[in-house]
Amino acid sequence: MKGSVIKYERDNIDTDVILPGPYLKIHDYAELATHAMEGLDKDFHKRVKPGDFIVAGKNFGCGSSREHAPIALSYSGIKAVLALSFARIFYRNAVDGAFLLPIEIDESAYKDISDTDSLEVDISTNDIKNLTKNKTYKMKPFPELIGKIIEAGGLFNYKP
Amino acid sequence: MAKTLFEKIWDSHIVVEENGRSLLYVDRHLVHEVTSPQAFDGLRLNGRTVRRADLTFATMDHNVPTSDRSLPILDQTSSTQIKALERNCKEFGITLFDIHSPNQGIVHVIGPELGITLPGTTIVCGDSHTSTHGAFGALAFGIGTSDVEHVLATQCIMMEKPKTFEINIQGKRKNPHAVTAKDIILSIIRKIGTAGGTGTVIEYRGETISELTMEQRMTICNMSIEAGARAGLIAPDEKTFQYLRGRKYVPQNYDECVNLWRENLKSDSGARFDKSFTLGAENIAPQVSWGTNPAMTTDVTGTVPFPDEYGKGNPEEEKGAEKALQYMNLKSGTAITDITIDRVFIGSCTNSRLGDLMEAAKVVKGKKVSSQVRAMVVPGSQLVKKNAEEIGLDKIFKDAGFEWRESGCSMCLGMNPDILAAGERCASTSNRNFEGRQGTGGRTHLVSPVMAAAAAINGHFVDVRELDLN
Repeated sequence: MKGSVIKYERDNIDTDVILPGPYLKIHDYAELATHAMEGLDKDFHKRVKPGDFIVAGKNFGCGSSREHAPIALSYSGIKAVLALSFARIFYRNAVDGAFLLPIEIDESAYKDISDTDSLEVDISTNDIKNLTKNKTYKMKPFPELIGKIIEAGGLFNYKP
Repeated sequence: MAKTLFEKIWDSHIVVEENGRSLLYVDRHLVHEVTSPQAFDGLRLNGRTVRRADLTFATMDHNVPTSDRSLPILDQTSSTQIKALERNCKEFGITLFDIHSPNQGIVHVIGPELGITLPGTTIVCGDSHTSTHGAFGALAFGIGTSDVEHVLATQCIMMEKPKTFEINIQGKRKNPHAVTAKDIILSIIRKIGTAGGTGTVIEYRGETISELTMEQRMTICNMSIEAGARAGLIAPDEKTFQYLRGRKYVPQNYDECVNLWRENLKSDSGARFDKSFTLGAENIAPQVSWGTNPAMTTDVTGTVPFPDEYGKGNPEEEKGAEKALQYMNLKSGTAITDITIDRVFIGSCTNSRLGDLMEAAKVVKGKKVSSQVRAMVVPGSQLVKKNAEEIGLDKIFKDAGFEWRESGCSMCLGMNPDILAAGERCASTSNRNFEGRQGTGGRTHLVSPVMAAAAAINGHFVDVRELDLN
């Protein structure tokens, strides 16, 4: 996976800002995507390109269980969120619906990666290459269950 | 080997477990109109049925208007979502408490009210505040729509086993009418942080917890998710068994069940928790949130903090506080009691039960809402509303100038017409003070029902310990 970074230097980016409540009535995924991150960044929709990564701080996706949050990001083109940590319901929603990859990174990678950097992520080696800065970081490997669901392409394709 | 309450419930629900992956049986599945439509679509698309429709219960709460229910719903998208749930429940044979049902209400209020929530069971719902049901010693998880579909189809959930976290609350509160369950849980989140419970199931224990009513215990477990926990638990006791006795959906052999629950549903002495935290109840003051997450909270006697004071040397926390103060339009050093408010919301799955309304009514009785404030009470369910009206609470609130509305999630998450205008400041008994949660640009201060009621009367926050609440 290759793409460029949209960085939010913020902890606790909650699902209410990722996809505000009033839009939970929308069922069309493409339309949901036009409201992604609207609570935090009104220009996100104009800026995001297919294949982009979001980089953020601790406890990304905290709050509501709305799957609309990873769906809106996914249909905006976001392939992975790289964060210091994730709230658990968001994390499972992202993986179970095969919407995007929630990737945990460490403090040094978080500090080093800048907005608009180009990254190449390889989940088979857990390597994150920063093509702009010519550096490589390690992502935290997925726990076994999560890795297997990702490999299968979502919860419904996963056979224990 | 000594086991925790969590481990006992978990172990008794394992269908398959290997390498930390567990397929868990689900005893009760609660469904609402917002996180279920795609799940039902998925079932249809794949030709699947609902495996245990008899263990699945639905209601509509998130987007329903709280105005006159005899009128049509004006918002077409809400109306579509509500009709979709009606159609799905009919097609798949699921019990639905619809908008005109006397049992309609917030899913986490009606579950316990109807005796659907039972000790020792596993419960899931496509809503993060499913943790509420843990107050009955049920292991209750909030899930997303993919997992809702999975549970509808299989009655099982695939999980990694959470860790255990013991939170002890010891001692007695000095004034239990003024220092409420809400103040206890906000104090806990303030200390352990919004990610303090990540990956764990919290068991709340100790003298203070035993003293709480079932409704107050629900307030505590409800906000476990605000500390990042997968679930909150409280061991059931005589209060739990008494609360549930005679409710609509409890098992017919209730006494036998109680005997089993009494014997088994507690953490063994000597059981080990992965994590532990202790809080003394004596010094807890009424809490008011000042920022944009529930950990950004302080005592009512306190002041709005300076970012460096809040950050305690952590630059990220400091930056977070700066952004929060900017959004909240608050100046560091301002006394909490000097913050004036525009709106008051008493409601939500955290604080909309009869006890909450009774406590708030004590403050309101014979007084008038400040002329600067628009205040509303949204009972958690039709049953709460009916019970409150039977003891005249509606009259107390209405006489004071409060709006008395129909049940639903309402202004907790701003999905229906009950929202804040940009810039409005609200004293709210709900659970989240996130940016825009109650309406774009709206500013939320999380408080207890008594604190919200007192703020409505005075137009600003007041220390309710100074009022006569007995």
